[in-house]
Amino acid sequence: MPDRIKTVVILCSCSGIVTEKIDWAQVQDLLAHHPCKPLFRVDELACGADNLEQLTAWLRQEQPDRVVVAACSPREHEPTFRRLLADAGINPWMLQLVNIREQVAWVTDAPLQATRKAARMLSAALYRVQRHEPLAERQVPVRTEVAIVGAGPAGMQAALTLARAGRRVTLIEREPLIGGLAVRFEELFPGLECGPCLLEPLMGELLHGPESPRVTILTLSDLTGVTGSFGNWNLTVRQRPRFINPDLCIGCMLCAAVCPARRPNGWNRTGELAAVDVPFAGALPNLPHIAADACLRLNGTPCDLCLTECPVAGAMDFSDTGQELQLQAGALIIATGAVEQQSIPPSFAAATNLHTAYSFERLLAMNGPTGGELVTASATPPASVVLVHCAGSLDSSATAYCSATCCRAALKYAHLAAAKLEGAEITRLVREQSLPGVEAARQYHGDRSRVHRYERLSDLRVTGSGPDQTITLPSGESVPAELIVLLRPLAAGDGTGMAASLLELTTGEGGFVTPLHSLSAPCSSPLLGVYLAGSCRGPGDIREAFASGAAAAGLALSELVEGRDLVVDPQVAVVDAVRCAGCRTCIQLCPYQAIGWNSRERSAEVTDILCRGCGTCVAACPAGAITGRGFSRAMLRAEIEGVLA
Amino acid sequence: MSCREISDTWTAHRPATTTAHTETSLRIVAFLCTWCSYAGADKAGANQLPVPPELSVIRVMCSGRVEPTLLLEAFQGGADGVMLLACHPGDCHYKEGNLRAACRAELLLPLLPQLGIDPARFCFDYVSAAEAEKFSRLTVDFAERLRQLPSQSDPSEDSG
Repeated sequence: MPDRIKTVVILCSCSGIVTEKIDWAQVQDLLAHHPCKPLFRVDELACGADNLEQLTAWLRQEQPDRVVVAACSPREHEPTFRRLLADAGINPWMLQLVNIREQVAWVTDAPLQATRKAARMLSAALYRVQRHEPLAERQVPVRTEVAIVGAGPAGMQAALTLARAGRRVTLIEREPLIGGLAVRFEELFPGLECGPCLLEPLMGELLHGPESPRVTILTLSDLTGVTGSFGNWNLTVRQRPRFINPDLCIGCMLCAAVCPARRPNGWNRTGELAAVDVPFAGALPNLPHIAADACLRLNGTPCDLCLTECPVAGAMDFSDTGQELQLQAGALIIATGAVEQQSIPPSFAAATNLHTAYSFERLLAMNGPTGGELVTASATPPASVVLVHCAGSLDSSATAYCSATCCRAALKYAHLAAAKLEGAEITRLVREQSLPGVEAARQYHGDRSRVHRYERLSDLRVTGSGPDQTITLPSGESVPAELIVLLRPLAAGDGTGMAASLLELTTGEGGFVTPLHSLSAPCSSPLLGVYLAGSCRGPGDIREAFASGAAAAGLALSELVEGRDLVVDPQVAVVDAVRCAGCRTCIQLCPYQAIGWNSRERSAEVTDILCRGCGTCVAACPAGAITGRGFSRAMLRAEIEGVLA
Repeated sequence: MSCREISDTWTAHRPATTTAHTETSLRIVAFLCTWCSYAGADKAGANQLPVPPELSVIRVMCSGRVEPTLLLEAFQGGADGVMLLACHPGDCHYKEGNLRAACRAELLLPLLPQLGIDPARFCFDYVSAAEAEKFSRLTVDFAERLRQLPSQSDPSEDSG
């Protein structure tokens, strides 16, 4: 051991608690011939404020190269003693703390044994600390803008929360309109509040409110590329053509009135829209868009009816090809939502007047296909309605989980159907009912529908059609079912899948994104600077969307602060490019995607911002080419040798 | 062959006890992850539960940091027993480091007899931050188990 490395050892008595078992004088005797030749100092209470001042002065005077502190658990006071070193002008990573309180004095009966064990642990720390190297926290400037994918309630809430705090926000929305699903629902559970009424003020604020200059809304847009890391993401966004100039269009919809071309109305799941149209009345932003595959003019047929009708020159732009945008952002919020499964179970394939939750919501909506009239395909009010809960859920051979929102929706539908259809027979077929919460109980006890339990969806037999349609239960009982609503399971939408695959985020059952921790970090992704809001994390209703939108915004606000650089913990993994054989084991192994391939160096490379210092790659590298700073092989070996010496 | 089968096979061929360890000569090295098992060990202290004085703890950030060679180096250095204690499956602070550790432990175990090390001298287990009692019991039992084993020949001297 080189003599020139000066090592000091601070022995803390912890106000006498430790010295009940450990004799510091004897420890010093036992270590008197240690090759590190340490200088000892005993403190009554090392972490006391006054004592820390004295220690700082002493360390400034002694100018040691290494410091070992024998005190309590590093989980308690390691940061305190690192600061002590920094205050004394010593690199804080030249510290090794020995836990002689919790793990020696308090667990050892005999004082002699405790004293010997303390000396052994200190000896190991002395060997280890010789291997320490000065480290420095790296400061990285971060951008504070946030990009949000998905402009449903969760994304909008996140955007507004951030914009109100003065942040610049870009909302990337795949559809031509914002508002997500809830804006298309006439009434929301549990208070039957009108969806558009609840969301329009929010959308208005985003589009035209005092925060709107800080909000960029990109509709008809997909996130197509992501590079970078926390604080400095580079995003590629592909915006499809709207063929309408949003700066000029006044939203009069005269174009839609004259357009002769038709396309299926996907937003209502029934009926048609003009080739240039809005999805439904009141959709925001108040701009039509042209469906390129339906428009005559865009498909080579001469037609200029809309152009002639449009009162603003240049508002219609048939040369629009869309654009590819490069954005930069400090953080990314994924709020891409969930969708109900579209497929129809075989036992219902032949049913008439069959709805899923979404198409039924649209049927109930004033701006839906029938203006809110609850009618069958033959435009007459149904005499009976059957709501089928768990249609495909809680079934290990289909969708194993409960979507948590459908029972609420079914109670709402039962209530609305009863209100709209006087004398109609309303039946709920349930496998299980999940209605937690105070408000749900009110709806549940107010429900007057007939309830039957069923075991398997395939047990239900649909017979007859139109007004004579019935559902027969295995018991032989028949339920009149002129109109049927299947409450299908919710799964992650395409947008969620696309974002997850771009960011290499793990997805679980239903394709939902796995958060960093399901209990304690439900709105964080495992990637630093990527947050999750709304039902991309799992099925949820509008309440959870609002709550998680605000939560994700709060995380972005607390982690990206104007003028505060990102401090990168230096205890990260580092690859020695010369020794790296290029097997890429580590790249596969890293749970944080912190390791990439440097093709120029032909070596794995750790992005320190993303590395969390677990050391899994260090242990896995067959070439021993990765060093875990703070827990290097040399340090751990020194410690092993020390405790066994 | 499972871990247990390997242990059992070894036990069947273990030489009869000749000299039992005296308490002071026992040396145990325990690698503990800072988030769960080390926290559990701290709680054992807070609850004043017994931990063998022969146990030397080496703290790591994650059990996934500990490569099998480090465990073998501890044996080579003269450890009578080596422990690797991880977070319970699903509880890893780094998502899956503990599972990597579990896989490596599974692979290491059949190797130990080939190196002349009784597999009973190695212990891989899960201890949560709340399991002070389990930590105490595991370490006390492990020390007791080691005391019952015949003393090891020095692996570095054993050239076969």
